[in-house]
Amino acid sequence: MNIGTLLFFGLGTLVAGIALGPRLPRVWLALTIAGTLAMLGAALSMLGGGSAWEWRSGFQLGGETLHLRLDGISAIFLALVAAVGGLGAIYAREYWSDEQHPESAPRSRLWWCAIILSMGFVLLSSNGLHFLIAWELFALSSFFLITLDRSARAGRAAGWLYLAASHAGTLCLFAFFTALAARTGSWELGPMRGHADLGALFWLALAGFGVKAGLFPLHIWLPSAHANAPSHVSAMMSGVTIKMGIYGLIRFSGWLPMPDAAGWTLMGVGSVTAVLGIAFALAQNDLKRLLAYCSVENVGVMAIGIGGALLGAAHGDALWGRLLLAGALLHVWNHGLFKSLLFFSAGSVLHATGTRELSRLGGLWRSMPWTAVMFAVGAAAVCGLPPLNGFVSEWLIYLGLFDTAASRNPSAVMAMPATILLALAGALALASFLKAGAVIFLGAPRTKAAEGAHESGPLMRGSMGALASACVAIGLAPALLWPPIARAVGIWNPAWASGAPPVPLFALGMAHVLLAGLLLAGGALLWRRVHATGMRRALTWDCGYSRPTARMQYTGGSFSAIAAGWFSWILRPERLQHRPRGPFPERASWVERAPETVLERIIEPAGRVVMQLSNAARRLQRGRLQFYIVYLAGGLIALAVLALWTK
Amino acid sequence: MIAILEIVFRLALWLLVAPLLPGIINKVKAWVAGRQGPPVLQLYYDLARLWRKSVVMSTLASPGFVIGPAVAWVALVVAALLVPLGPAGGALSFKGDVLLLVYLLALARFCTSWAALETGSAFEGMGAAREVSYAVLTEAALITAILSLSVQTGSVMLSGMLSLSSGPGALLLAAGLFSVLLAENCRVPFDDPNTHLELTMIHEAMVLDHSGPLLAVVLHGAAVKLLLFAVLLSEAVLPLGRLPPLAAAGALAGSVGLVTVGVGLVESLLARFAFRRVPLLLTIAFLFCLFALVLAWIGGAR
Amino acid sequence: MNPTLNLLIGLAMGLNLLALGSSRLPAIIRTMAVQGVVLGLLPLVIEPAFGWVVALVAFVTVAVKGFVIPTLLRRAMRTANIEREIEPSIGFVPSLLLGALGTIAAVAVARALPLLPQDAGTLVVPGALASIFAGFVLLVGRVKAISQVCGFLILENGIYLFGMLLIRSTPLLVESGILLDLIVAVFVIGIIVDRIQRAFDSLDTRKLTALHE
Repeated sequence: MNIGTLLFFGLGTLVAGIALGPRLPRVWLALTIAGTLAMLGAALSMLGGGSAWEWRSGFQLGGETLHLRLDGISAIFLALVAAVGGLGAIYAREYWSDEQHPESAPRSRLWWCAIILSMGFVLLSSNGLHFLIAWELFALSSFFLITLDRSARAGRAAGWLYLAASHAGTLCLFAFFTALAARTGSWELGPMRGHADLGALFWLALAGFGVKAGLFPLHIWLPSAHANAPSHVSAMMSGVTIKMGIYGLIRFSGWLPMPDAAGWTLMGVGSVTAVLGIAFALAQNDLKRLLAYCSVENVGVMAIGIGGALLGAAHGDALWGRLLLAGALLHVWNHGLFKSLLFFSAGSVLHATGTRELSRLGGLWRSMPWTAVMFAVGAAAVCGLPPLNGFVSEWLIYLGLFDTAASRNPSAVMAMPATILLALAGALALASFLKAGAVIFLGAPRTKAAEGAHESGPLMRGSMGALASACVAIGLAPALLWPPIARAVGIWNPAWASGAPPVPLFALGMAHVLLAGLLLAGGALLWRRVHATGMRRALTWDCGYSRPTARMQYTGGSFSAIAAGWFSWILRPERLQHRPRGPFPERASWVERAPETVLERIIEPAGRVVMQLSNAARRLQRGRLQFYIVYLAGGLIALAVLALWTK
Repeated sequence: MIAILEIVFRLALWLLVAPLLPGIINKVKAWVAGRQGPPVLQLYYDLARLWRKSVVMSTLASPGFVIGPAVAWVALVVAALLVPLGPAGGALSFKGDVLLLVYLLALARFCTSWAALETGSAFEGMGAAREVSYAVLTEAALITAILSLSVQTGSVMLSGMLSLSSGPGALLLAAGLFSVLLAENCRVPFDDPNTHLELTMIHEAMVLDHSGPLLAVVLHGAAVKLLLFAVLLSEAVLPLGRLPPLAAAGALAGSVGLVTVGVGLVESLLARFAFRRVPLLLTIAFLFCLFALVLAWIGGAR
Repeated sequence: MNPTLNLLIGLAMGLNLLALGSSRLPAIIRTMAVQGVVLGLLPLVIEPAFGWVVALVAFVTVAVKGFVIPTLLRRAMRTANIEREIEPSIGFVPSLLLGALGTIAAVAVARALPLLPQDAGTLVVPGALASIFAGFVLLVGRVKAISQVCGFLILENGIYLFGMLLIRSTPLLVESGILLDLIVAVFVIGIIVDRIQRAFDSLDTRKLTALHE
C-alpha cells in the first residue's frame, strides 16, 4: 500500500479517536488500533526498502507550506510510536477503565490519540516552524496525560515540573530553529552541511533535545514525571517520548555541520549519564522511580553511541562510527520495547496491590505469575543478558568502542573510559533489577496489600506478552533488523551506506538460538530430574526465631546499600531513624529517601536565591505615579547616553 | 560430522576436568596445614551422590528456584565453549564473542542470585547483595583487562586476543586477572568457601538452601567457572601461540595447574579480608588492569 | 640502563599507590622508606661512570631516607602511641583512584613537554609528577600528622626525581643540603608530634584549630 495513503488513514482515524474517544471507549480502541497499525504499516514499508516519501500541502499553516517527509531514520521512531501507542491503548482499556476512573478515563483516551498524533507530526515535519508547533503540542499532551488523576498531589507537582523543564528545553529549540531559519533563509529542514556557520547552533539543539531525552543534569523532571503518571502513560513517556529527544539529536547531527567538540561532549555526557542514572536507580525504593532512572541510564547509552558516530564521521568516516550509530538506533527500539514492558508490569503490580513501594510488596509470584515472568523477561532484557534484545544493541555499541580502541584512533582516549563506565553501568543495572524483581515477586508478602494481590486481566497480560515476545524475537534474529538500521545509518552519513554488516550479526543470532535451545532443554531436564528424585517442601530456615514475620526478609534498601554507599557523595540519602530503646522496645523505624540531588540540592536552592532577589526587586514597585515617571525618564536618558556613546 | 565430534570432545573436556580443580585446591590447603585432606576426586563423588538425592524446597520458592541453577549452568558451559583452548581455538568464534562471554557470566550471576533470593531468607539476601555489589568492581576490572588485550593485539575476537601477549603489561594483567579470578570464584581473600555464618558469606549464601540435583548443578557450574577463569588467565599472560601445538597444550595444562596450586596457596596463607576492605582490594585489581591498558596504549603508539 | 631505570621508577610509582591505599602507619612509613632506597640507588644507574662522588651521594641518600628518617618517624609514632589512620578526609578508595588518575595524567603531561631526547624515553618526569601529586594527596587527605609527614616526604622524593634530570650539573653540595633540610625537618616534626600528643592526647591535626580561639 502507498505510504501516503497509510499515513493519511492513520491521521484520519486518530483524529476521529480524539473526537469520539471520550464518549465511546470501544470505538476509540478500534480506531486507535487501526490508526497505529496504519502508521506501523507505513513505517515498516519504508523500513523494508522504500525511498523517502515527501508531501507538500496546498494550504499554508502559519505562513509556511506543510512539508512532510518520511525516511529511514524517522521510520524507525515512527514504528516505535505506533507499536507502543497501540499496545498502550489496549493496556489502558483495562488499566484505566471508566469503571475505576470515571472522569479521567475519557480525557485519557483523548490525550492518548493526541500524543500519538503530535509525535507523528514531529517525526514527519520537514519544516522548522511546524516541527516546533508539533513539539509544543506533544509536550502539552504529555502534561495532560501525566496529570490525569487530578486528585493526586504528587501527580500535579510532577506535571508542573515536567511542563517547566519541557518549556526550558523548548525555549532552546525556539532559539535553535529561528537562528537556523535566519541563517539559511528559510524554515525548510534538510541536509545543510554547506553552511559552516551553523555549527555553533548544535549546543542549543543539545540543550533543547537533551532536556527532552533526559541527559544528566537536564533529567530532573524525569523521575517524578514517570513515577507519578499512570503506568500506561509512563510506558509511553519512557519508551517513546524521550526518544523524540534522541531523534532530534540524531537528525540534526546528520544534517548540520558539527563543531569539533560535539562528539567528545556527547560521549562524555552519555557515559556520565549512564553511570549516575543507574546509581540513582539502585537507591530508589519506589518501583516506577527506579524504572525512570533506568531510562536515564539507557538514554546515556544511546548518547554514547551518537557521540561515537560523530567522532567516527570526523575521523575519516571510520567504520566503528557506523557500528556505534547502529547500536544507538537499535537501542532506541530495544529500550522502547523492554521499558514499556517493565512499566506495564509495574502498572499491573500497582493495579493489584495499590502501592509502588518495594518495602510493602513481596511474594507476588504466587498471585501474579504472568506478571512475574514478564517482569523477569524485561529485567533480563534491560540488564543486557543474552539471548534477549538488550544484549544485541549493547553488543554493537561495545564493539564500536572496542574497534575504536583497537584501531588506536585518537578518539579512543574518550572511548576507553566510556567502555569502562558502560561496563560499570551494566553491572549496576543487574544489581538494581535483581533488587526490584526479588523484593517484589519473591519471598513472602510483606503487607496485607501484597497478600491480596490478583493477576491482571487478559488485555493487560496480552499487551505485556506481545512486548516480551518482541524482545525475545529481536534477540534470536538480530540479523533481520540489520537492513533497516543500515539504511538509516546510510541516510545519516552517505559514506556508510554500504550494505554488508561489519559484524557477524548472523553468527550472534545463531549463538543466541543455540543458547535459548540449550536453556530450555537444560531447564526441562533439571525439572524432570528434581521431580523424579522426589521433592519435599519445608519452611525456610529462620535462624530459630520464635515469631518470624515477613517483614524480617531482606529489604530493597539493604540490598542496594553496599553499592549505593559508594555513590553517597551524589546520592546524599536522607535518613529518619527512631532507634529501639530499652530492653523491650516497642517502636522503631527507619525511613530512607534518595532525593533527586540535582533538583533538590542545586536547582531548588538556586531558585530560592532567585526568588529572594526578585522579592528585593519588588521594592521598585511603589505604586505611585511619580516613581513610574521617574523610571521612564531615567530609562530614556540611559538610552540616549547609550546611543551617543556607541556612535 | 567432525565438527559435532569436536564439540562433544570439547564439552567432555570442560565438564570432566572442571571438578578436578576444587579437589586440587583442597589438597594443597591440606598439605600446607599438615593434614591428609579429602581425595582429589572428592567433588566427583559428591556430585554423583547429590544427583541421586531428593530435593527439599522452601514453601516460598517458585519454579525459578529450579530453573535458575539450570540456566546458570548452561550459560557457564556455553561461555566455556567460547574460550579457546590454546592452539585449538574456541568452539564458536566470531568478532565480539568476548563480550558474549562476559555477559554469559553476568547471566549466570543473575540466575544464581535470583534462585538464591527465592527462599525469602535474609541469609541469601545478604549474600546476594554482596555478590552483585562486588561484581560491579570485578566487571569493570574484567572489561579493562579485555580492553587492554584488545588494544595490544588489535583484535576483538577471543581467538585473536589470547595466546599472543607478553611484554611488561603481561605481569600487571596477570596480577589483575588473578585477583578477579579469586573474587569471581569466591576464594580467600574475598570470600571463604568454607564458611556458613551469615556475617561472612557471599557465594556460600547463595547455595545455602539448594539440595540434591540442584546443588550438584550449582557446584559443577562453579567448578566450570573456575576452570574458565584459569584458562583465560593462562592464555592472556602466556604467549602460547608461539609454541608448537603439543607444547602449547602442555603449557596450558601446566599453567592451569599452577594457577590452581596458586589459589590453594593463597587460600592457605592469607585470611579473608573484612568486607569493608574488599572494595579497596577490588579497586587495586582494577588499577592493575588499568595500568596494563595504559602500558598497552603507550606501547603501541610509540 | 634505560630498562633498569624505568623499572626502578615504575616500582617507585607503584609504591606511591601502595602508600595511598594503606591505613596502617608502619606500612606507610615502610613504603616511604623503600621508595627512598629505590630512588637513592638511581644515581648509580644513571651515571655511566662509577665515580666515588656518585657512590657517596647514593649511600648517604639511602642511609638517610631509608633508615634515619623512618627511625625518627617510628619513634614519634611510639610516643604518640598510634598505629592506624581511621577516617581520612579523602577515603582510601578515592585517594587510590586519584593517585592512579594522577599517574596516568603525569604520563600524558610528560609526553607533551619538550624534553631532551635522552630524558624523553625515560619515566623520570612522569615519576616525579606522579610522586608530587601522590604526596600532595596524602598531605591533604590524611588527618594524622605522621601520615601527612610521609606525604611530605613522598613529595620530596618527587622533587628529588626532578633533580635527577640535572645530575650532571648538580653539585654534591646541593644534594647534601637537601638531605640535611630533610633530617632537620623530620627531627622538628618529631618534637611537634610529641607536643601535639601531649596537648590534645591525639594526633588528629584538625584539633589544632582549637588554638585559634
